[in-house]
Amino acid sequence: MSKFTDIQIDPGIVRRAARGDIGAHEIIYRAYGTPVYSICLRFTRVPAHAEDLTQETFVEVIRSISGFRGDAPLGAWIRRIAVSKALMFLRSAWHRRGQSLDDDWEEATPQRAEAGAAGQADQGIDLDAALARLPAVSRAVIWLHDVEGFTHREIAALMGKTESFSKSQLSRAYQRLRPMLEGEAAAAGEAASAADAALGSC
Amino acid sequence: MPNDEVDQDETMNCGLGLRERERLYAGFRQLPEAMPPRVVWQRIEAQARAEGLVRHRRFPGSRFKWIAGAGLAATVVLAVFGLPRPATDTGEESFPTVPAYAEQNNALALTTLNALMVESQALEDDLRSLPSQPQLVRAGTAATIAGLEEQIAIIDYRLNDTSIRMSHEQMELYWRERVRLMNLLVQLRTAQAQRNAF
Repeated sequence: MSKFTDIQIDPGIVRRAARGDIGAHEIIYRAYGTPVYSICLRFTRVPAHAEDLTQETFVEVIRSISGFRGDAPLGAWIRRIAVSKALMFLRSAWHRRGQSLDDDWEEATPQRAEAGAAGQADQGIDLDAALARLPAVSRAVIWLHDVEGFTHREIAALMGKTESFSKSQLSRAYQRLRPMLEGEAAAAGEAASAADAALGSC
Repeated sequence: MPNDEVDQDETMNCGLGLRERERLYAGFRQLPEAMPPRVVWQRIEAQARAEGLVRHRRFPGSRFKWIAGAGLAATVVLAVFGLPRPATDTGEESFPTVPAYAEQNNALALTTLNALMVESQALEDDLRSLPSQPQLVRAGTAATIAGLEEQIAIIDYRLNDTSIRMSHEQMELYWRERVRLMNLLVQLRTAQAQRNAF
């Protein structure tokens, strides 16, 4: 599901980038800029922050690509840099507010999230809005686990936390999203029943 | 998309059933991607230059403008040959192949197209940075170079012809072919320049 691993870059371009060729770096940016910006925006929800993090990510790519050995795909390497930068940003933001990663669960108002999710039941899944209502850490964990394919161990290492922390954050995210998913299923079932009834009356 | 079986079991225990998870993953797949504003690359480039992380671009010398001239001339003569014709206003559908990557979503396709355009531009820069063609060249090499330039010119003609409506996949196919031809041309001209250096 991750876009990072779908994109292929010619090894020659990577070699040129490693020699400091700005044209080659621009090619890499054109290829990976959108997924990097998207993941940063997904984590921070603020375009200006996502732009800054995208810039930091690619400057880091330029700085470090000479050390890239090619053991993992380039996309996975760039993604790890982007995720690391985004999580570092979230951590620093919490520091500024005097909060820790563990406090984040209480950040969103559950009633608001569930009311919003239920309200979407007759309009299909509005996952974007539901994700936006999740606390930042839960959102990051569900995204890393379900979309980017990270294991709990990897997520824990990135966040400087335990695997249990990652698992509990994922579980909580699912709990928050569950009303929306159930509502969507119920709405789909009702629509199917209504269609059956209409056909039966013909 | 959990990575291992242990994770999948845990996911089941987290309270989501199989159908709910399928709905969730389907929802994730449909989420749109966001493109960064244009200014972001300019900021990256400026910072990389300020920190001395990159080399400056090689700028073109005027003596290589023959490439553009040759391309233009070849366009006039050869536009009717060579490449398949994409769909036009008349509804003609003669483009022969749809590449496998046509299945990619729009955002990814746009990203790929951008990357191909930039790569093509970088190869143009490489070509311009090479020394001019020698007075005496092997007939076979000259013919091959001329052939490549003609094909590139035809592609340029197609890409710049506003009367031809191309799908995204067709444009990508043309740009991919342009990059391939430019690569060959740069390799050939580099080999030629190295031969003449001795």
